[in-house]
Amino acid sequence: MKARNKNADSPRLAKWLLKSFSSYDFVSTALWDLDELFQINVETLGVRKARYIYLKEVLSIIIHLFFKGKSQYSINKFAMFKHNILISIRNFKRFKTTFFINIIGLAISMSVGILMILFLSEIYSFDDFHARKNDIYRVSTVRVQGSSGEESYLTTASLYIADQLNSQVAGIESVLMMRSEMHSTDLKTEERAISAEGFRASDTFFDIFSFKLKSGNPATALTHPNGIVLTESTALKLFSDNDPIGQSVSFDISPNSSTYMVTGVVEDPPKNSHMKFDFLLSLGNAEGQMENHEAEDANSPSATGEYYVYVLLDERARPEAVELSMANIISDHNARLDHPVRHYLQPMNSFVTSDLYSNLIGPRFPQQRVYLMIGLTLLILISACFNYSNLSLASALKRSKEVGVRKVSGADSSNVFLQFLIEAILLSFLAFFMGLGLFFFIRPEFLRIQNIALQGADMFQLNVELIHIAYFLLFTIILGILAGLLPASFFAKLTAKELIKDVSKTRFFPGLNLRRIMIVFQIAIAISLVTASVLVYNQYRFSLNFDLGYETENIINVPVKSEYIDLLENKYAGISEVVQISKSSLVIGIGGDGLSGGMTQVEDKKPNLTLIGYIDQSFLDLHEFALVAGSTFMNPLMDGGNPDYIIVNEGLVKELDLGTPDEAVGKTIGLNGSQVNILGVVKDFIEIGLSKKLFKSFAFIYPDHNDQFSILSLKFQGSNLPLFIKKLEKEYKTIDPVHPFEFRFYSDQIENNYRQQKLTYILVTGLAFLAISISMLGLLGMAVITAESKTKEISIRKVLGARLANLVLLLSRSYLISMIIAGLFAIPLTLYIVDSVVLNEFMYRDKIGWEIFSGLLVVLIVGILTVSWQILSVALQNPVDHLKTE
Amino acid sequence: MKKITLGAFEELVLLATGVLQDNAYGVTIKQELEDQLNKKISLGALYAALQRLEEKGWVSSRVGGITEKQGGRRKQYFDITKDGIMTLNEVRNMRNELFNRLPQAKIDWLKS
Repeated sequence: MKARNKNADSPRLAKWLLKSFSSYDFVSTALWDLDELFQINVETLGVRKARYIYLKEVLSIIIHLFFKGKSQYSINKFAMFKHNILISIRNFKRFKTTFFINIIGLAISMSVGILMILFLSEIYSFDDFHARKNDIYRVSTVRVQGSSGEESYLTTASLYIADQLNSQVAGIESVLMMRSEMHSTDLKTEERAISAEGFRASDTFFDIFSFKLKSGNPATALTHPNGIVLTESTALKLFSDNDPIGQSVSFDISPNSSTYMVTGVVEDPPKNSHMKFDFLLSLGNAEGQMENHEAEDANSPSATGEYYVYVLLDERARPEAVELSMANIISDHNARLDHPVRHYLQPMNSFVTSDLYSNLIGPRFPQQRVYLMIGLTLLILISACFNYSNLSLASALKRSKEVGVRKVSGADSSNVFLQFLIEAILLSFLAFFMGLGLFFFIRPEFLRIQNIALQGADMFQLNVELIHIAYFLLFTIILGILAGLLPASFFAKLTAKELIKDVSKTRFFPGLNLRRIMIVFQIAIAISLVTASVLVYNQYRFSLNFDLGYETENIINVPVKSEYIDLLENKYAGISEVVQISKSSLVIGIGGDGLSGGMTQVEDKKPNLTLIGYIDQSFLDLHEFALVAGSTFMNPLMDGGNPDYIIVNEGLVKELDLGTPDEAVGKTIGLNGSQVNILGVVKDFIEIGLSKKLFKSFAFIYPDHNDQFSILSLKFQGSNLPLFIKKLEKEYKTIDPVHPFEFRFYSDQIENNYRQQKLTYILVTGLAFLAISISMLGLLGMAVITAESKTKEISIRKVLGARLANLVLLLSRSYLISMIIAGLFAIPLTLYIVDSVVLNEFMYRDKIGWEIFSGLLVVLIVGILTVSWQILSVALQNPVDHLKTE
Repeated sequence: MKKITLGAFEELVLLATGVLQDNAYGVTIKQELEDQLNKKISLGALYAALQRLEEKGWVSSRVGGITEKQGGRRKQYFDITKDGIMTLNEVRNMRNELFNRLPQAKIDWLKS
């Protein structure tokens, strides 16, 4: 007998292939023959040829026996699966606790997974209804603004470049310009008025976008200079069931209310459109617009703030080429600037998810947050998988006899492997259905997370469609496989002897360390998430309570049309709850509408961009601004007018180098060309929120006429708020019956400003809660199993005289160690991530103190409770009961 | 006895099994046939044929003793049954009969 060639190993892949197709009897036979052949071939033909032949033979066996007619050597696949499933179900019934813990854990994580799947598919299907979505781009601009040298990304571009694109650049099929037409006034007919927002758009609108016109001609609807296209719901509100075409509507912009004629009705922009509007007005083409503008600057390539420019590229045109052309076109102009203007083409599928851009046209969900959500979801899913694996491995003891018997009666490793895998997949399916139920429960809560600028979750619908079912199926199977992989391979590797003879030895497998790692990982996730949510919450609270420089409590802001504001002020003054009233053009601290800007300068020095607010004489007092020098505006009726006075903040004083606040009072500076005197200086305050950069200088002006005023601020006292509101509404309606009465609590408005943070906070907390539940389920399961398996040990120890405290300590020791290790990893990591990613948005941040240990604390407490409950129940038992049967 | 067809390949496998007597199993049958026919035989086809033969009752299989060679695996041996021999004989007779009825002229070709 020749010595066996040590290097000749029969190919494992081929073997595995054979095994997976054959019944175990046949596999023996076939393998015997194959190996003998192999050995012969190795000696005659060499190893590589031998292996090749081996594979070929295996394939031939498979083909002949299984595909060319029925064969008793092959397995009836269905019977096999049925058998596996039956065993799985029996196991579920036998080990009910484990089963429930597993299924709940998986179900929770799957509900989140389902949410994410629907969410992702929706966010990437935005604007899908446009036929030419792939060829639609938006011209975006990168500028360096202000003295700080910071780049700002705009979704708008200049008239100049739009015109050039139309005439000079190749590859462009169509150019569209749009300008927002957001009046604070309303759209009205003779009978009704509604508030509406819309755009002016050039007549190529319907060429590029696929919004359907219900009535009217898409080619001409936007060509009439006085034409207006209404959305279906707007038309319904204004005209009920009558045909709106040909009717007139107007805005009441004084002095000349222009009337428009309805030339078309378009269907409402669907939920997944990046652009929302109620109406469309016509905008001429670029040339026409450029002729219209008086100021020359408006036609310059640098005037990039106002118009949205969309282009439809030829199918074969390349965006890079167009970008190059644009750069060439403005290169001359750029040569004269310190900071060049750069244009890019933004593809349509990034409209909604890009992080960078300001002045957006519609809803947005930044990519960063998407990644955050994906990351957290994956963490939760992994956590649940680990749970399953852990519990399965821990219950090795109980299952070992079953596995042993199977192996002895001829099951091969692969058989056992498959069995456990199928069990995991089956559980996954069951958990899926449970998770689906949970999802429908969570869904309305999730969709309710909204905020004003449509940056919340309410921009989504999260409907389940047919294609999603396919995703779900895939998801369930993959999750099942992932979860079951570890226990399956563990059991498959055990040999029969080990299992039946000495079961306790199985615990000292290398698999045990892996378990430890998984537990630590799970706990770490729970700790991180709790800590993160505590930190985020802290920052959120901190932002709310930050000293803004003015008062916001007990103040209600009521928007009023300027023509009614004096009348209403008088009426409100008569209401008892009202302590003080003031008029203004804006609500400080929340940005948005109402902000004006201007240029202030000292003599001929460099002009300074300044925010401007129009207020009356009571404003500063009502909001308790701190006046550090000078005085406030006087009541024009009583003390004469406020000719050319302004009140500024400390920041402006510094920017214009006016000395100390006291010195600044009385000085004359230029404001938008005219000269004004500084009447007073207020302490710096937060103009537009903590999460944005401060504008340094601010000026308050008392306007000549009421046109500028649009907000009444009411400071109130009294406890019966609903009654108070009713009074306000009643008075309002006597004066202005047409427009709806609105009011906001100032503190609510400020709080709403931190919607971003609130949203992040809610998301993170929600997920943290889920992660903890899963981790705790895992711990519970582990505790149950360990306690059960150590029952004898505990009993013996008790009999030998161990005290209760010792027992508890002994049993929980390993868990404590796991938790501490997890904490050591999780806390610094969380700190780093939260600090650099989430909190970075803020300019003012809370100090981080012992909150970082909150996560660890929570996990410790919950963990200890969980574990000790189990341990105590065992430790308190009568040891005799357990030792009786032996 | 019912007439069940015996395919050409099956017949060869059956013959080889008989020839090998007690030592007929996958590899040996395969090698025997390959030597005789000068043609490669795949294990898959072989097993399929053996299985069909077993179904028809012309071959029986048994599990051989455990040897140390393959670490405890069993080896399946095939033995031809009485029915198998009878079938072989029948088929052979049928063929011979037909052959004997070939006209002399054709048989003479063999001599040239």
